[in-house]
Amino acid sequence: MNHPRSGCAAPLRGGSASGPAKPAPRRSLGPAIALLVASMLALAAPIHASAQVDAAVDVPLAKGMSTSVEAQQVKALHYGDTLFNFFQDKHFSAITGLMTSQHFNRLSPHGDEAEVLRGGLLLSYGVHNEAGQIFASLIEKGAPPSVRDRAWFYLAKIRYQRGFNSQAEAALARIEGRLPAALVEERGLLQAQLLMARGDFAGAAAVLGPMTAQTKVASPFARFNLGVALVKSGASARGTAVLDEIGRAPAANEEQRSLRDRANLALGVAALQDQRPEDARRLLERVRLNSLHANKALLGFGWASSAQKKPGLALVSWTELAGRDASDPAVLEARIALPFAHAEMGALGQSLKLYESAVSEYDSEERRLDASIGAIRAGKLIDGLLDRNPADEMGWFGKLGKLPEMPHAAHLSQVLAQHEFQEAFKNFRDLRFLEGNLQQWRDSLGVFRDMLENRRQAFAARLQPTRDGALAEATKATSLRQRRDVLVSDVAKAERDGDGVAYADAAQRGLLARVEGLQAALKTQSDNPEIAALAERVRLTAGVLAWDLAQAAPARRWTTQKDMGQINQQLEQVALREAALAQAQRDEPARFERFAARIEALSRQIDAALPRVTALKAEQQGAAQQIAEAALVNQKQRLAAYTLQARFEIAQLIDRATVARNEK
Amino acid sequence: MRPFTRFLAAAALSALTGLVAAQAPPAATGLDERVQQTKSDVIKLNRDLLVLEEELLFPASTQVALFVSMDVGKLFELDSVQIKLNDKLIANHLYTPMEVQALQRGGVQRVFVGNLKSGSHEIVAFFTGKGPHERDYKRGATIKFDKGTGAGYVELRIKDSTGKLQPEFDVKVWQ
Repeated sequence: MNHPRSGCAAPLRGGSASGPAKPAPRRSLGPAIALLVASMLALAAPIHASAQVDAAVDVPLAKGMSTSVEAQQVKALHYGDTLFNFFQDKHFSAITGLMTSQHFNRLSPHGDEAEVLRGGLLLSYGVHNEAGQIFASLIEKGAPPSVRDRAWFYLAKIRYQRGFNSQAEAALARIEGRLPAALVEERGLLQAQLLMARGDFAGAAAVLGPMTAQTKVASPFARFNLGVALVKSGASARGTAVLDEIGRAPAANEEQRSLRDRANLALGVAALQDQRPEDARRLLERVRLNSLHANKALLGFGWASSAQKKPGLALVSWTELAGRDASDPAVLEARIALPFAHAEMGALGQSLKLYESAVSEYDSEERRLDASIGAIRAGKLIDGLLDRNPADEMGWFGKLGKLPEMPHAAHLSQVLAQHEFQEAFKNFRDLRFLEGNLQQWRDSLGVFRDMLENRRQAFAARLQPTRDGALAEATKATSLRQRRDVLVSDVAKAERDGDGVAYADAAQRGLLARVEGLQAALKTQSDNPEIAALAERVRLTAGVLAWDLAQAAPARRWTTQKDMGQINQQLEQVALREAALAQAQRDEPARFERFAARIEALSRQIDAALPRVTALKAEQQGAAQQIAEAALVNQKQRLAAYTLQARFEIAQLIDRATVARNEK
Repeated sequence: MRPFTRFLAAAALSALTGLVAAQAPPAATGLDERVQQTKSDVIKLNRDLLVLEEELLFPASTQVALFVSMDVGKLFELDSVQIKLNDKLIANHLYTPMEVQALQRGGVQRVFVGNLKSGSHEIVAFFTGKGPHERDYKRGATIKFDKGTGAGYVELRIKDSTGKLQPEFDVKVWQ
């Protein structure tokens, strides 16, 4: 399958040129093929965008975003947490977590990187306006050059996506060459696309040429676009050679195989335009039979064979094509091309039968289309797609890989590949995710309310005992303060007296009392000579006591002052605790009130946003359904045109048969 | 036959150029603008809700968050981590290949967030996985840390020791 010639080759080559009794009339395909080639090349030029059509619309952008955030040394844990989600493609968790951490200022020193990441994530969600503001703001504030370059790059992408090509080119021109490796090629591709958009194909080739020459691992898209740019700039031989090289190169994956098929298809159609049917057949043979482009290649192969006057060979490819899924216009086309080829070979009877069969198949197909349109209107398309393609988070990574389970779902394979439908469906799925997210938060806010109420009650329940305790503490503290004040007064008196009596210990106070008592008693008997000796002893004792007190006073004063300091400190701490408690009693209810107010405000915001999201979701679903329905209505119109043409051909064949019979 | 061939040519053209219209960039419709605005609004609302949740449930004064990071990670294929805080199991996580890849690219997993009083605490983390030569590997890392009045962040790091050709596990407390 990897070989370019695999798949398509056998059946395309297998046909024989047997049969034609008379030469086929000359086709007027020249101008049509010229238009066809031009369209193919126009299609090919912005291969980036076409890749979006084949897969998810903005995958390249999202991929660019993810690859631009390279493995790195994280210096802020919460930035690492954002990256942890981002690297797992959990983009919603990443962006909301990142914005939360920005609120708490905990992303330093990754502030600018975080903004680039936020802008890129918003971009991947299709929120272009805000993403643009973020990048513009980074540039304005003079972020480091590497950040600025990425900001300019993403701004260019946004502008290109919004159709502002000249502004996009201006933004690209501001990049100074400090883009991460992963974005360098993407930048070149974007620049080439912009140049081609304004018709400067030589300029585009000049950009793409060095890109593909410099690196062997240059993306096949770059080489493909180079081929297209060369062809359209007039360097057909070189462009064709590039495309031919892609058309023959081994491909490592389905993306590259599809691109190879596309190159061969473009070259084949170009050969048809140049009246080189042999080359056209050779090139179209390379397209795989199971490729996205196989039907067009089979159709073109038939035309090339027909141009070579080999209707038998054309029959082989058209027969294969006519048996395929009728949702592809090329298949419908083949169903009338087939009898046309039979007529060319002179098998008029067979041709007539096939035309009649085609008309019958078109009628059946129209009924199936009606059934599909009915199912789409009933919402089965969107519901079915959601069931078959679930996604955990909102974003671009939920690809539409499976068709919904509904009648004639195959009709929708073309619709699902359309960029416009994918955009609409992605928006619908995002809105559905956001609706669920808001409903969850509404429930969570209910829990927060209950939690807050419980805290309030617990606080109130603890408040009175706490207040009682605080009151008891305060009473104790007041008593302590009073005692402290008395002590202060006593110390002051002792300082004034200076005799150290105030610092006397218990024994000394006892002695002092006894001395004072003795001295008083001795005064009453001062005439008694025996008492004089005793009085002298008392006087000496009093003197010794006064001496001791005076000696001990400084040390005792110091100890007392130290103790007083400690008492004061303890009293201050008590005062602080009382103040803190009083503050908490005032603040806590206020904190509860603030939380309650925030809960109510956010609840109101959710209540306002939810109906808006729900209504938009319904509107978006309608828009997606309309796109799908319009595509099927187009198919019906094509069917009607084919049916009309087939009936016309039937009438002509009958006329010819009648004329021939009459002539006989 | 001539009108028919013209029709076929036109039909072929339409068949082969069917994708051209699909390629055109989408028109900026009113619906698109409103969807953009709504997405932006709801993302901001989510930010405000997450801020409220964190402040309500994990106030900064008591918050403690544990993170797991991996430096290189070539010598150790992480399967699971089990974390005990003060001898109580608080986290037990089995890793998917995508999560391991995210860690190897520089992502840091916030594996636990909770509340803790100020003071001394002990964290014990057990990492299990495959070490060098595909051998089953189980290692532990322990740290005692003091929780202050601000939020406490603890990073459990898995490193490659190129000298020993063994994985290393250590713990860093961020203040």
